[in-house]
Amino acid sequence: MERLSLEPTKYTPEIDFDPEARRLVIRGRSYPENTSEFYAPVFEWLEAYLEEATDDDVTVNIELDYFNSSSSKALMDFCDILEDAADAGKRITVNWIYAADDEDMADMGQEFQEDFDRITFNLVERED
Amino acid sequence: MIDLYQFRQELMTRGVFFCFSGPISQNLVAEMGTTLEQKMHLEEAGKSTILRVFSIVVENAQNILHYSAEEFPADKGGKKAERMLRLGILAVGFEEANYFVHCGNMVENEKVTVLTERLNRLNAMSKDELKQHYRKQRKQSSESGEDSKGAGLGFIEMAKKASRPIEFDFKPIDDRYSFFSMKIII
Repeated sequence: MERLSLEPTKYTPEIDFDPEARRLVIRGRSYPENTSEFYAPVFEWLEAYLEEATDDDVTVNIELDYFNSSSSKALMDFCDILEDAADAGKRITVNWIYAADDEDMADMGQEFQEDFDRITFNLVERED
Repeated sequence: MIDLYQFRQELMTRGVFFCFSGPISQNLVAEMGTTLEQKMHLEEAGKSTILRVFSIVVENAQNILHYSAEEFPADKGGKKAERMLRLGILAVGFEEANYFVHCGNMVENEKVTVLTERLNRLNAMSKDELKQHYRKQRKQSSESGEDSKGAGLGFIEMAKKASRPIEFDFKPIDDRYSFFSMKIII
């Protein structure tokens, strides 16, 4: 499985999915014009990886400073895929990393945490 | 009219410090967002406030980008053009210690009732109800796979971040279109 890395732009996040380290990182801002177009290859990679991976532990770092409402839906779909993999026996840890003084992002993380119970969902405060 | 001073005074009377009217593009959305962010940062606005204004500007600008009924082909393919450029107006201002975002664009008359009902419903909800509603809508749109652009999530997001009910108005233009205006106070 090849590493998936996409450079960040003004409105799309950095994607760094490293199968060797079993670490997937989404970092930056997400408000593309066409959200499904941007996330299609990301989902495709994730599904193929989860199917292929023989190791059980996967860590996902979601470190977004801002995402728009359609990206919020994409993140939900993303976590759904992870939840299914957790159901199938994988141990998935999601770290929701947000700036300490950003209340809205902390709330959002909490909402995600409440919506998913098969993945280990950590809220991680970052001091800027 | 060569003199734009009057026009600018009119904006300033309304507390508006930023105004854009015309065809919008994704690059413009990003540039407007980051420029406004910089300005508010210099004014020493709090981080949460800056992000809320940024978010409401982006949601509104992308609503114009996706849904404004005033549009023209983005290339010379005429009606067969792959992309359309859509028009709207967006303003940001400050009054009585709050930032606000103004947004306006044409909508088809048949959408007026649905939009009015949706906004009235959101305006009647408490912050907690908005939070639950947001989660329910997000889940539903996820499961049905419909409306990839967000299934009205943008409006709920704005209502969540607003400090007061969303003000809105529909001005009838002709038998097909109305002009939809919104004001969101952060």
